[in-house]
Amino acid sequence: MQSSANTVATSGFLRLKPTRGSPWRPLAGAFAACVALGLWAGAAQAELPKGGAANLAMVGEPQGLDPMVSTADLVGTIMQHVYEPLYTFDANWNVAPMLAEGMPVVSKDGLSYSFTIRKGVKLHNGRDLNADDVVASLQRWMELSPRGKSVAKEVESLSAKGPLGVELKLKNPYAPLLAQLALPSGMAAIMAKESIAPQLKDFIGTGPYKFKERRPDQFTVLTRFDGYSARKEAPSGYAGRREAVLDELRFVPVPNANTRVEGSLSGQFQYADLLPVEAIGRIEKGAPAVVPIVTKNFGFPYIVFNTKEGVLTSQPLRRAVQTAVGQGELMAAGFGDNRFFVVEPNFFPKGTPYYAATGSNVYNTRNPQAAKEAAAKAGYNGQPIRIMASRQYEFHYNMALVMSEQLKKAGFKTDLQVVDWATLVQRRNDPKLWDVYFTHSGLFPEPMLSPPQLGDDAPGWWDSAAKKSSLKAFNQETDSAKRGALWGTVQQTVYDEVPFIEVGKFNGLSARSAKLEGYTPAIWPFFWNTGLAK
Amino acid sequence: MLRFLLTRLAGAVVVLAIVAVLVFALTRLASGDPVALLLGDQATTADIAQARIQYGLDKPLPTQFVLWVGELLQGNLGQSLFLQRPVSQALLERAEPTLFLALFAVGIAALIGIPAGMSAAIWRGSAADQAVSGVAMLGASIPSFWLGLILIQFFAVRLGWFPASGYGDPSASFGERLQHLLLPALVLGLLNSALIIRFTRASMLDILGEDYVRTARAKGLPERVIMVKHVLRNALVPIVTVLGLTLALMIGGTVVTETVFNLPGVGNLVVRAVLRRDYPVIQGTLLVIAAIYVFINLGVDFIYTLVDPRIRLEGK
Repeated sequence: MQSSANTVATSGFLRLKPTRGSPWRPLAGAFAACVALGLWAGAAQAELPKGGAANLAMVGEPQGLDPMVSTADLVGTIMQHVYEPLYTFDANWNVAPMLAEGMPVVSKDGLSYSFTIRKGVKLHNGRDLNADDVVASLQRWMELSPRGKSVAKEVESLSAKGPLGVELKLKNPYAPLLAQLALPSGMAAIMAKESIAPQLKDFIGTGPYKFKERRPDQFTVLTRFDGYSARKEAPSGYAGRREAVLDELRFVPVPNANTRVEGSLSGQFQYADLLPVEAIGRIEKGAPAVVPIVTKNFGFPYIVFNTKEGVLTSQPLRRAVQTAVGQGELMAAGFGDNRFFVVEPNFFPKGTPYYAATGSNVYNTRNPQAAKEAAAKAGYNGQPIRIMASRQYEFHYNMALVMSEQLKKAGFKTDLQVVDWATLVQRRNDPKLWDVYFTHSGLFPEPMLSPPQLGDDAPGWWDSAAKKSSLKAFNQETDSAKRGALWGTVQQTVYDEVPFIEVGKFNGLSARSAKLEGYTPAIWPFFWNTGLAK
Repeated sequence: MLRFLLTRLAGAVVVLAIVAVLVFALTRLASGDPVALLLGDQATTADIAQARIQYGLDKPLPTQFVLWVGELLQGNLGQSLFLQRPVSQALLERAEPTLFLALFAVGIAALIGIPAGMSAAIWRGSAADQAVSGVAMLGASIPSFWLGLILIQFFAVRLGWFPASGYGDPSASFGERLQHLLLPALVLGLLNSALIIRFTRASMLDILGEDYVRTARAKGLPERVIMVKHVLRNALVPIVTVLGLTLALMIGGTVVTETVFNLPGVGNLVVRAVLRRDYPVIQGTLLVIAAIYVFINLGVDFIYTLVDPRIRLEGK
């Protein structure tokens, strides 16, 4: 059913083509080389030398290894090598089948999805994957995973139909379903039925790598699964043929960013994840042994407003704050080098189905005078606005500093509370404690996946008739062409009601050894189809 | 003697009880929620509340404290929230890098500090003495993270002689692990050698003024024999004490160096546990470190009575 594939199709999210004369030029060579080598298509794969072990420096210790329970990116990044979902995303962020044979058969009313699993897919324990495994896994996902729980609200029933068939019935048409099944974070991972438990002890999936050992704060080691059943299609993004070329993947937690930089420069790490943008100069000096990787449109910082309690429950006042804020200054403060950020009102990049210009008149206004007048009209009488930010992510803090100044200029009183991240994620759940907090999210191929404020119950507690109606229309429309326009309405609603402010988009910087060949930049970096030159 | 030992033991238990209360109170009074971190950014408040129940974090603090102490009395330090293993196991895994790092660093400090301190004492007031004392002052004032970064830049990145960080591959041999420890040990060793230099110099100077040194000189003994046999040997007692103290301090004092070099040691365990509010790990580790200090002190007191009968410890 091609139409269901199109419902969540976006394109060009990760395209790394540099524009002529852009500030990207210093890095353009590296991108051009990637594109020219056909790394996207994985063409170089056949020549990759098999074997070896890669040390991959990650930002920290995974919060656990259960890819359903935690929605943390790091858990998904590691465990996507062990577990596979029914669907995944290709290089253009279209949903593509992984464990499913093809796209599902969807009933005319959009309420019933029939999946067929590929035949002869081997689990890590040697058994063939069957429909019972899939049903049990998805059931566990809908019970335990934050993402799965939100899907469960839409699901009427889930059952096996024969050894390889699975049928999922919905209560209402729910367009984000396949994207939800495909996402690596909070993953709808398919696991061996016998390994399923509230707390996983054995990690038995179908992926090209199997779990070997975890020593917390030291490494998580995966080894090649020789019985892996690969797809036949050419690799594209996360989709298509996967091959474990490296014998062993070692995910090493290296929370100190500087240590990740030095480690990749000294050749100790073949890959170093998420480096501070200031490190670009040092990485470039490491050429030709070290290659910088810039992942465009990696994510977006956003500023959440408390709509439930406190001074900013007043929508006109939130509008006034929005008028005072200049997102351009915030992004410059957060990311410095303009190769690493974009200031634009559209939540999704141009060229994707969800690109919309709605709301651009109130984006990046930075107008203290107008803000002051609007605040006075809204009845603002000098209550301090409590802004919460963490230095764990330095750009949150830098942005918060600038925003606080912008608000002061417009006559607002601000109370900047700098706390550590563990404190922030706790306090934001209590509406009494804050008015504004800074956070960020990866840019996902489906609007409903992030930020969580688009759903129910997330901190900020945005709830309004306009939100409900615009999102309902968006979620029930399965025709991708119409969904694009409907997203424009949702975006407009966000700009009107200001439950959060999307600041801009930032690019991710990582680094790899020149010897690590076949690597494809991705938001959740993966290392199948990747080998080490001798 | 028995009465003395029993009194001291009782004292140690009281100290540990106070530490337990303090550690528990401090970790819980600091804000922050381990469960919200554990579940990630997309988790809803309902998910978080449910997981708090699962980990017993919803119970009132006094109840949690009683439960924890109950576990402690059975010799159980609890289960880490993040590491999926008991705290005692996590501690044992981390003890090795920290212990070797500390031993290695003290070795380096002694190798640098004792000869340098000796020469400063022998040529007291000379340019060599000034230079050694100056370097020692400088060494004591350099922050360890800075020295660590400089050494990484030079020896790991530019020359490629040593790994920049970590404790080796999963299959690394003991030799390879030691190679990983050399740079961090050098940092700690260089910084701590400052103290050893000053102590060696001071105690050598003390002894150089003793009558028996003058007698040895009057006997016409060669200067080399006097220095090694008579002066150094007698000066060594306070130096060894300082070395021992340095080693003990390092068990809990390698935090910064472990962070810069990404060494999976005890210091790193505590820091990361604090950042993710892994209460059982913070509590367990701090309690164990406190216990080590208390028992080392107890041991030292006991040994003093054996070594020097003039020290009277009868519980008067």
